[in-house]
Amino acid sequence: MTKKETALAVVAQVSGKDPEELTPDAELVANLGMDSAKALELLVELEDQLEIEILDEDAAKLNTVGDILAFVERLEG
Amino acid sequence: MSDLLNAYPTTIPEALKRAAVDFPDRGIGIFDGRGRHVERRTYAQFWESAKETGAGIAALGLEPNEPIVIALPTSWDWLHAWWGVLLAGGWPVAASGAGAIAAAEAQFDKVDAIMKKLRCRRIISSEGFRQQALEHGKQWAHDRVLTLNEILRLTPQPGFQPAMGQSEGTAFLQLTSGSTGLPRAVMISHMGALHNAVASSHAIGVPHGAPAHEWAQAMVSWLPLYHDMGLIGCLMLPIVTGLDVWMLRPPTFLARPNLWLELLGSRGTTFAPSPNFGYQLAAERIKPGQLDGVDLSSWKAALTGAEMIRPETVKAFCEAFAPFGFDPQAFRPCYGLAEATLAVTFDTRGEGVRTLGKPEGADDGYALAEIVSNGQPIDDTEVVIRTPTGRTLSEGRVGQVCIRGPGIFNGYYLDDDATADSLVDGWLQTGDLGFLADSELYLTGRTKDVLIVHGQNLMPDELERLADGVTGGGGLMRSAAFSVATGAQGESVVLVVETSQTEDQSLRNLEQEIRSQIGRHIGLPIADVIFVKRGKIPRTSSGKMQRSEIRQSYIDGNL
Repeated sequence: MTKKETALAVVAQVSGKDPEELTPDAELVANLGMDSAKALELLVELEDQLEIEILDEDAAKLNTVGDILAFVERLEG
Repeated sequence: MSDLLNAYPTTIPEALKRAAVDFPDRGIGIFDGRGRHVERRTYAQFWESAKETGAGIAALGLEPNEPIVIALPTSWDWLHAWWGVLLAGGWPVAASGAGAIAAAEAQFDKVDAIMKKLRCRRIISSEGFRQQALEHGKQWAHDRVLTLNEILRLTPQPGFQPAMGQSEGTAFLQLTSGSTGLPRAVMISHMGALHNAVASSHAIGVPHGAPAHEWAQAMVSWLPLYHDMGLIGCLMLPIVTGLDVWMLRPPTFLARPNLWLELLGSRGTTFAPSPNFGYQLAAERIKPGQLDGVDLSSWKAALTGAEMIRPETVKAFCEAFAPFGFDPQAFRPCYGLAEATLAVTFDTRGEGVRTLGKPEGADDGYALAEIVSNGQPIDDTEVVIRTPTGRTLSEGRVGQVCIRGPGIFNGYYLDDDATADSLVDGWLQTGDLGFLADSELYLTGRTKDVLIVHGQNLMPDELERLADGVTGGGGLMRSAAFSVATGAQGESVVLVVETSQTEDQSLRNLEQEIRSQIGRHIGLPIADVIFVKRGKIPRTSSGKMQRSEIRQSYIDGNL
């Protein structure tokens, strides 16, 4: 799996949403129903599964599925 | 007044000064954001550096009792800022932090509102906070934000003596949600804080035959220090009773709840408080392998309060962690509120969580068939149940919980009207509803409109204002926010929005916009958005929205 595919799988797993709902502009809070606990669970799972560390400043900018995919893409680049 | 405090210090600074001498080996350990490294200092060390910080802050030239906001995460910087203000003769006011993901907006708007309401000249925070506040257009960030480094570079006031406080006087301000969305600042006295801490230790100790501080070594907390349960429960209590305390930041716990349990099983005999959702999170998220080798039998008291206690959460937690030595009888329900300093009642039987069936007519909006006992009043404290007209009700009858005792606040700062509403003839009207049975309190709901999500108070106005901005409601509020619980996850938020829109696609767009606004500003997901015709939300003749009525309609399935 590519990093982006892994990231999408993690978002699906943590949010409990179907892959179809994970459009690039799907907002983590507004559309995927994530509260602060879920958001942190997502960060931890992304870190563990992608074997990276996400800094606080970067985490603060992750509002949508698209933001996460773009972030992961930058890692691969 | 009370014999409970005879042997104890009478002010908060006195408590730390004494701890430095009486408990030289005890202190505070604070973990970093990742939960990997801990920095521990003894009370003796901290007393010295707190005084130095106080001298630096005093050099700024504070008015007596000047409120100063602290906006920092749980850290040694936070402790120095808060205690430094206290010892410099000011009133520290701890403000909440930003969310981990998005929701930065809300923090700066909130600090803005606090600064205005309290007529605050200064805020102690970080360089990053100052930069971000400026980016969000907050002009006060130019000259009102100070960092601890900047304070320590000031020439300390010559001949500085720490302000030791006066027992009945206000020591600090505790922020809580007000009824109009503007924060209220609860004035907490030295005596109130110390009495509450000592009385809590006594209550926790009842089933063990001695106050908690006589048999425990440490507390372990993940609670925010801007919350009364974190500040009084997990900072004042250990200082005044000479216990160790280990602190995790809230996001650290939310990310890795296993860290909290690992600490509880490895720091000697321990006890800890948490809102229900913390126990729920631990039960859901911790994977069995994460606790290998952890022995929770040394965790003697798991206090649960700050929000409605759910029997299914307690059951799930016990099932998950009994294999690691957790004793179900360690669960100790409690109840309290900021206006009573912190604790009002505690379970003192130590038989685990006990319930009674929900009485007729009690709130249906919590999906609870059984109500958990919150225990008996703490020392020197009385609890009665009253009708809206102030008549005292007998046991078994549901009414408003009213309290009298040494923990009652000194009033709301700069808000005499709100104080007069809450304090009537020396009794605190809590806005909480419940009944007494066998001298124990059972909470069934509340009359006040506050939402309690994850143990934290949230005002419906904040959400309604954001939703209203989307629908273009102009002057008159067009939406009502309230909370209901449908299960173990606790309270979630419902928004009822008046609109003249009828077209499906328009409503879907409207809903998306509302959810997005609230998501970005507050970081809160909304469980349900219901659109109704204009005028459907009931109002009093003076135009005040009646949230409890629309909430009842929702619960009854009439929307």
